[in-house]
Amino acid sequence: MTIALQVLISGLAAGGVYGLFAAGHSLIYRLTGIVNFAFGDLVGLGIFATLLVLAGTSPVTQAGAHEPRFLLALVVGLACCVGASVATYFGLVQPYLARGSTIGWVAGTVAVAFAIRAAIGAVFQRSSYIFPDPLPFHRVGHAGFVGIGGAQVQARAFFVIGLALALALGSAWLLERTRFGRALRAVADDDEGARIVGVPVDLFVGLAFGLVGALAMIAAIAAAPGEAVSANTGTLLGLKGLVAALAVRFGPPLYAFVAGLVLGVLEAAIANVHLGGWQLGPAYREVLPLLFVLLLISIWPSREALEERE
Amino acid sequence: MTAAALGRTGTELRRAAGQARGAWSTGAWVAAGAAALGLLVPFLGLPGLRMDALASTVYLAVAATGLGLTVGAAGLPSLGAGAFVAIGAFTSALLMARAGWPLEPAALCGALAALAASVISGGVVRLRPAFLAVSTWLLAWLVWLFLLAFPSVSGGSQGLIVPVRSLFGLSATPTVHYEAALVLLVLSLLGIAAARRGAFGLELSALRQHPALATSLGVPLARQRLGAFAFSAALAGLAGGLSVQLAGVADPAAYDPFLSFKLLVAVLLGGAAATLGPVVGVAALGLIGLVSDPLARLLQLPLQRFDAAVAAFLLVFVLALGGDGIIPWLTPWLSRFRRPRSQATVPYRSAAPGPKAALRVEGLTKAFGGVVALDGLSFEVTPGETVALVGPNGSGKTTALRLISGAMLPDAGRVCFGDRDLTEAPTRERVRLGIARTLQATSTFPELTALETVLVGRSARRCYGGGARTALATPRARAEEPAARAAALHALAMVGLDQQADVPVPELTSAQRRLTGLAAALATEPQILLVDEPAAGVGVEELEPLARVLAAIGRQGVGVLLVEHNLRLVRLAAERMIVLAAGQVVAEGSVAEVGESELVRQAYLGAQRL
Repeated sequence: MTIALQVLISGLAAGGVYGLFAAGHSLIYRLTGIVNFAFGDLVGLGIFATLLVLAGTSPVTQAGAHEPRFLLALVVGLACCVGASVATYFGLVQPYLARGSTIGWVAGTVAVAFAIRAAIGAVFQRSSYIFPDPLPFHRVGHAGFVGIGGAQVQARAFFVIGLALALALGSAWLLERTRFGRALRAVADDDEGARIVGVPVDLFVGLAFGLVGALAMIAAIAAAPGEAVSANTGTLLGLKGLVAALAVRFGPPLYAFVAGLVLGVLEAAIANVHLGGWQLGPAYREVLPLLFVLLLISIWPSREALEERE
Repeated sequence: MTAAALGRTGTELRRAAGQARGAWSTGAWVAAGAAALGLLVPFLGLPGLRMDALASTVYLAVAATGLGLTVGAAGLPSLGAGAFVAIGAFTSALLMARAGWPLEPAALCGALAALAASVISGGVVRLRPAFLAVSTWLLAWLVWLFLLAFPSVSGGSQGLIVPVRSLFGLSATPTVHYEAALVLLVLSLLGIAAARRGAFGLELSALRQHPALATSLGVPLARQRLGAFAFSAALAGLAGGLSVQLAGVADPAAYDPFLSFKLLVAVLLGGAAATLGPVVGVAALGLIGLVSDPLARLLQLPLQRFDAAVAAFLLVFVLALGGDGIIPWLTPWLSRFRRPRSQATVPYRSAAPGPKAALRVEGLTKAFGGVVALDGLSFEVTPGETVALVGPNGSGKTTALRLISGAMLPDAGRVCFGDRDLTEAPTRERVRLGIARTLQATSTFPELTALETVLVGRSARRCYGGGARTALATPRARAEEPAARAAALHALAMVGLDQQADVPVPELTSAQRRLTGLAAALATEPQILLVDEPAAGVGVEELEPLARVLAAIGRQGVGVLLVEHNLRLVRLAAERMIVLAAGQVVAEGSVAEVGESELVRQAYLGAQRL
């Protein structure tokens, strides 16, 4: 019971971040029919741009960041992430979409992913960094841990869960209620039709690329001080988002978000839960969900995932 | 018995040698010369040449060549080629290091393991390109994360030390590895070139250009694509299994998803459309590495990341220039080079099954969401008669054709052919039995000629057109080729396009393209032909030739079900008429009776009076 609660809360915190990545992946797929393989790395770029402004490239041992400096860093990081995302769309996605070349956008976005990783690796040459914490969670409870029902849970986890939920519901509201959101849904249904009735399709889709990057980046930064970050952080988050989005066949973004939450809890459970003396352990944490989703799509693809027949 | 078999084999071998001599051209001399020169490289005493690096580059080229079949011929954007190299490498390394196996069987098991992995994950070949790219990308990550998470298997950060081994009786030095890799490369290039030129390559290409049209002609999508995918995987596994001994250590860090990306870059850089493209791409990447590695050392950048960045930007550059790759730039005429000859070398012989049978549908029902497209449709088409299925837009005509041809399954009702129930049968089986269908509008294969398009329709009638037989150019596969060509030319002649056989489809007129589609369906040797709106967009003066073609088809004993809006063509071509409205039959009878009736007018114009 104690462990279950611990698993649930830490899993939901990780899953909230995965969920925003998954929702971003699925929104982009529904808007354009493409998958942005550079999504995770574009967010990674934002995280490291933030870190660069905040602490330079020297290793941070611990602690807090001053608030004005942190806000500046966050704005710079968001600008980098959004700018690079929009540039990726207009430079490497939109031209190939117009030409109907699948291999073009696949290779183009993967190329961006590796290029960003190489650039981060060239500037930040250590294997991992500690992200400074703008919020004083370490003062809550026992050095940042609070006890609930006998379980010791990171206080940050609640913040991350709340923030992820707020961002997810906020963007759902944006999609449902605003003019911009309605236009995006029109593009997802029928981009030619949307173009004809006067929606500036390319501009809005480009904006959506930037927006999903920004949302995912805020969640990732909120969770970042919890553990060490490296050039792989963004890549792996993007991958988890992809796993969750594929599990729901790039369905509605809210489904993808929920799939992300489930993935987070599942990973935590695989790592920690004993089932009658039988424990999988942390080694299986990343491998099993991936294997499961891959077999699922391979053996039981839904109709929308299958090659167009007619 | 044995002597007779040996004698037959000898005859076949002599014939094959004769054909090979006949096909021997300047290009073949150049290729053979290049291969021979390649074999001599280690003995030329070139200064500064590192044999181990060269050998591992050739192994990489083998894996890339395999990927070329998946990406170039089948058009599948696979991001998981490195996963199969890794599976082959670690299977082979484990067998050598832990079980003490020799190199050859260990590498073979590596290839088998990669093959098994590709078959297990093989369902992904049915997916849309975006889903396929994601799935194969996840596969690349899955294998790498597995190697990282289980150091007991992968040897952890140290890697698995692979013991010294011999290769074909020789001590496995880099030079021996190089020669073996080069022989493997030449063999796989020959096999893939043969497969791409033959029936298998044609069908893959058709599936890439228009999956729906190829499927409707009886090409088995999942089987052919899986063949290409699995062959690529096995080749990658073999290359991985052999090269791991050359490296001396199986290090998980060398098999990260970047390897998959690098292989894809090599294929695209060299040109996916050409069999030789991936080899050229790997060579280009190697040459760039010669320049960029010292540069990275000079700038004190981490080597692998720098390689990654260089490869990534190179790819972006190639894509920005149009994305065709090196070989297609060099030889714009290459694709025209290999058109099949349109002269029939053997007389046409029908391969269709014997007795004619009638098509009968009973109570076909299909709803899309809440919309009922067909509501208990029943009718029959007997051999040799032409039946027109008419009705307003949305009355369910095309849905009926889809259900009969197997493009989708009905909610209720049966499709019977003779005494066989085909309701659940796949399209290919229906085509084999003799039910063929043309698609609506201008569905074509834009990269093929008229004759090649029609040859796609021979798919279901081939017995030896599979990937392995085409790649090995077995005697039967070679014997089948001229027969298929004769049948395709016969079908083209039936629609009056035999003079246009070698014209690329985009250069045909719109009416000719429709006739090509009809000829492709005829090439399947149907007993029941389903024709969907052949007259849409066809000029008035072209209606009568079209009607004559349909009449000629009917005279051969083929039952024709004609879906058509143009009542003039219906009057010219059909004897019987079925009128549909809202998914139900509202009138049925001879064209003369029903065509003039009030019902037809109502069905077309609605209930309101003019």
